[in-house]
Amino acid sequence: MTVDNEILENGSQQITEVIQVENLKKNYNNFKALKGISFSVKKGEIFGFLGPNGAGKTTTIHILSTLTLPTSGLVFVNGFNVLTRPDMVRRSIGLVFQETTLDTHLTAEENLFLHAYLYGVPKKEFNQRKREVLKLCELWDKRKWRVENFSGGMKRRLEISRALIHWPQILFLDEPTVGLDPQTRTKIWDYIFTARKHKETTIFLTTQYLNEAENCDRIAIIDNGEIVALDTPENLKKMIGEDIISFRTLDNELAEKEFKEKFPEYKLKKIGKELKIEVENGDEFLPILVKAISPKIISIELRRPSLDDVFLEVTGRKIRDDETLKAVEEEEKFNLADLFSLFPKNNKKNKT
Amino acid sequence: MEDSNSLKHYPLNVRLKSLYIIWYRELLIYWRNRIKVFTSIFLPLLLVLFFGTGFKALFPTTLLPYDFSQFFYPGILSLSTVVMAMSSTLSIVWDREFGFLREILVSPVPRSNIVLGKIFGATTVATIQGALLLLAAPYLSLELGFIDFIKIIIFLFIFNAGVSALGVFFASGIKKTESFSVFLQIVIAPMSFLSGAFFPLNNLPLWVKNLAHLNPFCYGADGLRWLILSPSLEKEKILLFTLHSLKSSILFLIIFDFIIFTLAIYRFKR
Repeated sequence: MTVDNEILENGSQQITEVIQVENLKKNYNNFKALKGISFSVKKGEIFGFLGPNGAGKTTTIHILSTLTLPTSGLVFVNGFNVLTRPDMVRRSIGLVFQETTLDTHLTAEENLFLHAYLYGVPKKEFNQRKREVLKLCELWDKRKWRVENFSGGMKRRLEISRALIHWPQILFLDEPTVGLDPQTRTKIWDYIFTARKHKETTIFLTTQYLNEAENCDRIAIIDNGEIVALDTPENLKKMIGEDIISFRTLDNELAEKEFKEKFPEYKLKKIGKELKIEVENGDEFLPILVKAISPKIISIELRRPSLDDVFLEVTGRKIRDDETLKAVEEEEKFNLADLFSLFPKNNKKNKT
Repeated sequence: MEDSNSLKHYPLNVRLKSLYIIWYRELLIYWRNRIKVFTSIFLPLLLVLFFGTGFKALFPTTLLPYDFSQFFYPGILSLSTVVMAMSSTLSIVWDREFGFLREILVSPVPRSNIVLGKIFGATTVATIQGALLLLAAPYLSLELGFIDFIKIIIFLFIFNAGVSALGVFFASGIKKTESFSVFLQIVIAPMSFLSGAFFPLNNLPLWVKNLAHLNPFCYGADGLRWLILSPSLEKEKILLFTLHSLKSSILFLIIFDFIIFTLAIYRFKR
């Protein structure tokens, strides 16, 4: 990687790759959370990190946002090295964590105010931006409410608007829709798309919902601290193979015979009462197939491989299979020596 | 987490602004919690009133050459500001558990400023608390002029800055809110009992006095006694229930402030 920090500082507008990660590793004691991952994210892209719990998604976000130090590897965010210029990295990013980080004592407006001040947003601009982000996330009417009275979905929306108020170059979303109802989920995706459209914000998000990952421009599938696949959702699906057509006819045997005569290049499988074929371009082949077969077709189904199939293919299991990966570490309740010592032994400020 | 020379990246006005906003949040939360404001004033007054009159009846003036509630009042005042400063800074633990601390940690604000903003916020809140309690002085037939009042406020500020920094220092080591009660029992309770706020330490065994010489709370209580009582009481009487002079109290507290500020910032950065 040939990134010259000094040049990029002057012309951060010109960079096309806003996140660059090269051979990033992170160990927690003996546990290898990240085993050398590399990827880059282009400006204005929605980049998804897909993987089961404990795969290393949150660890990656924490390293990119300077909350955790990498064990080794190079990480550049908006052209700044996270190790040498964490201040500039922090200024260029907005974050929405998995857990809420709002100040529940205060009102929605005050939360935005604190945030804007922390990021040095000028006071005059603040009022305008406040209106903009609150209207975007449909919280303008509730701006004077205390956050403790907010529902889970409202809190999440407020967090997204808060993360947008300083106009970050990159918005990190750690499982932005987890635990929300489908309606709110769709809305949150709307906000994400609007934010990208207006400000060309790059969006980096993690998710364990496969259907949501389809909204991303590109996806990296991460498993056990390694990236096992990285491409656009379409290409990933193409990678595992062809479309599947299954159909039923009044006379399956005749249909089978006809099919084998006319399309010897395709394999035909008989599964129960259904006939199943795998073809490259299912949507084009479907009309040809219907015309070619003389028995009456009762039902016909064209299925595209889903990301679930992709995940199955690259990791060897389904995404929901392994709850066991969730290694929950029991923390010590109280350690007196830790209270007094200047050098606490286990600095667990950063959890996976 | 943050390399030592990174402070140079932050322009001064950004640093001041962030200091201000963290200080402001502390005051905002204090102001929001009206019930806490009320009880934090009500309880000390109740203590002075009931304990004061109760003990006054127990020890007749022939045994005790001073009014017990006059002895009691400055001590309780100092302790109630301590409670205020501590509860404000220990809210770091609360912030950590509920996530808001992370919002501050990922913002482009130097870590040392987070600590300083928190400490000064807590100190301001504690000083306001002390000032409010001072309004009760005339009812205990203690005369205080305007200059005395200002002096007391300045002293309270110096004292509580150290206490708040102590709070940050300990809060950085507490990971869970459940650990609070243990911390209060092991650290705060002994320090409060040995501060001389509840009883004079002068006639106690030497080892207790030696411990008291290391206890910042004790210097706080003694300093406040000199400042609050000297306009109304003779010096000889005050000497009966203080261990340290006003000058040595101020000197000790300033040195203590410097040390504990450094330690608190250092420990929080980790």
